[in-house]
Amino acid sequence: MNLEATPTGSASLTVRDLRAGYGDVRVLWDVSLEIEPGEVVALVGSNGAGKSTLLGALSGIVSVESGSILFGDVELAGAATDRIVHAGVVQVPQGRRLFGGLSVRENLLMGAYLRTDREVHADLERCLALLPRLRERYEFPAGRLSGGEQQQVAIARALMARPKLLLIDEMSLGLAPVLVDQLLGILAQIHAQGVTILMVEQDVQTALEFAGRAYVLETGRIVKSGPAAELLDDPSIKRAYLGI
Amino acid sequence: MAGGILAVAALGFSLVWGILNIINLAHGTFIMLGAYITWQLFTSFHLDPFLSVPIAFAIMYGFGYVLQRGLINQVVRAPILATFLLTFGLSLLLVNLALIVWTGDTRAVSPAYSGANFTVAGVTVPWTKLATLGAALLITALMHVWLVRSKLGRAIRAMAMDVGAAQLAGVRVAHVYAVTFGLGAGLAGAAGALLSLSYSLNPSMGEPFLIKSFVVCVLGGLGSVQGALVGGLVYGIVESFASQLDVTVLGQHLSGSGLQDVIALVVLLVVLVARPTGIMGRAAA
Ligand SMILES: Nc1ncnc2c1ncn2[C@@H]1O[C@H](COP(=O)(O)OP(=O)(O)OP(=O)(O)O)[C@@H](O)[C@H]1O
Ligand SMILES: [Mg+2]
Repeated sequence: MNLEATPTGSASLTVRDLRAGYGDVRVLWDVSLEIEPGEVVALVGSNGAGKSTLLGALSGIVSVESGSILFGDVELAGAATDRIVHAGVVQVPQGRRLFGGLSVRENLLMGAYLRTDREVHADLERCLALLPRLRERYEFPAGRLSGGEQQQVAIARALMARPKLLLIDEMSLGLAPVLVDQLLGILAQIHAQGVTILMVEQDVQTALEFAGRAYVLETGRIVKSGPAAELLDDPSIKRAYLGI
Repeated sequence: MAGGILAVAALGFSLVWGILNIINLAHGTFIMLGAYITWQLFTSFHLDPFLSVPIAFAIMYGFGYVLQRGLINQVVRAPILATFLLTFGLSLLLVNLALIVWTGDTRAVSPAYSGANFTVAGVTVPWTKLATLGAALLITALMHVWLVRSKLGRAIRAMAMDVGAAQLAGVRVAHVYAVTFGLGAGLAGAAGALLSLSYSLNPSMGEPFLIKSFVVCVLGGLGSVQGALVGGLVYGIVESFASQLDVTVLGQHLSGSGLQDVIALVVLLVVLVARPTGIMGRAAA
């Protein structure tokens, strides 16, 4: 999008001692992390570690048992999802989760659901400029698009909410490497325009190469964190996630 | 002509079923309430029944919204049996309340123009029936445009596809569910108001319309406006043809309304065998 639309340096995310889960099953144990404005942070970990659960707690769709989630000076723990989206924390969910029967255009408009300003149509144009492929597919039902195109729609839908912090869950899942590279290029542009990014990835190599910093989540606990480049060289990470 | 009213009633039923996944057994009762609202306004204030249509819609919308928010939201994700029990209980309660308030006496709404008619090509057409059909088509069209064009309408359609994703977009799900249920009740109310012009009223009048709404909704395809419209009109036409027939099956003499229901259900079976997703329904995703 553009620089004026999404002010940089707006808010940092501070998660403190977060416990969350589903009913009686606790998935996250005292998770703490910090994301400064303008950063790209990766959250990596194996299957079932609780990555999506963490993003769910940030978005208000997984209930928080205790702990705090501060975004700027707004407490997001326990807040309703619409307030969280309104505050600028927007998620691109795992598996894309498009509205399959709605057109690409309508999917993007759903992203702007909470907006009442007059720039929604200008933002649609900006999305199409960023993702020209979607222009050709604009009136198609989203469910009929290819996997890569669908992921683009999912990202564009989130952008339509004018995020300050974009949470992206498993963007690369099921996509060919060339498509992943293309999407990373798009993310880089979004980041360059001032959007902070927290990306969850199973493809640890890709994530650590793209991000500035990273956290490693194992069975619901943060076990490591640091600059992504250092984690790439970390022997235990290499062994556990990079198969080296 | 009854097909138009059926389309309106079935549209409300279909929205609630398709989007909230609730088979609302109180839908017929809501239709009855819409009819009584119209009767009450006509009797107390001499209000024209056609003017009561939006009023019945609004009152029943508000009633449906509050009901969903306060009570039915508890069972949105519950097993179907729980929603059956709740809406059936609600229906019994409302019918009995109606018996207390309006008694079991048969009522009628008959404005001065109710007998007027005109003749085209040898067929006598009552004005009220034509106007009723026109109003029903107008309501269906407005509903369609609203669902397709408005932000909230889009959110309702999106929610039917993926509630979680709608929530992540910032849709307040409980509110929009209540709006949807309110619309279902409002459409039932409007259908009831239109019905009051050509049917006599009593507190249990809604029951056959619940069944017809169900059939029309399945006939047309769940959650589809065009489906409810086409289903309602087809059903209405089949029904009025059936009422002209007079047949003897296995020694049983069948005619009029008894035959109507039989034929309507046979049509339903035939359609479902030929097109399991309904006339306008899409294949399941
Ligand atoms: N809706 C749910 N109800 C109950 N348990 C759940 C639910 N969703 C996830 N879980 C459980 O929570 C744990 C963490 O799941 P989560 O989806 O957060 O993992 P993940 O790190 O995102 O894994 P993946 O790489 O497979 O996406 C798992 O044990 C999972 O079975
Ligand atoms: Mg996950």
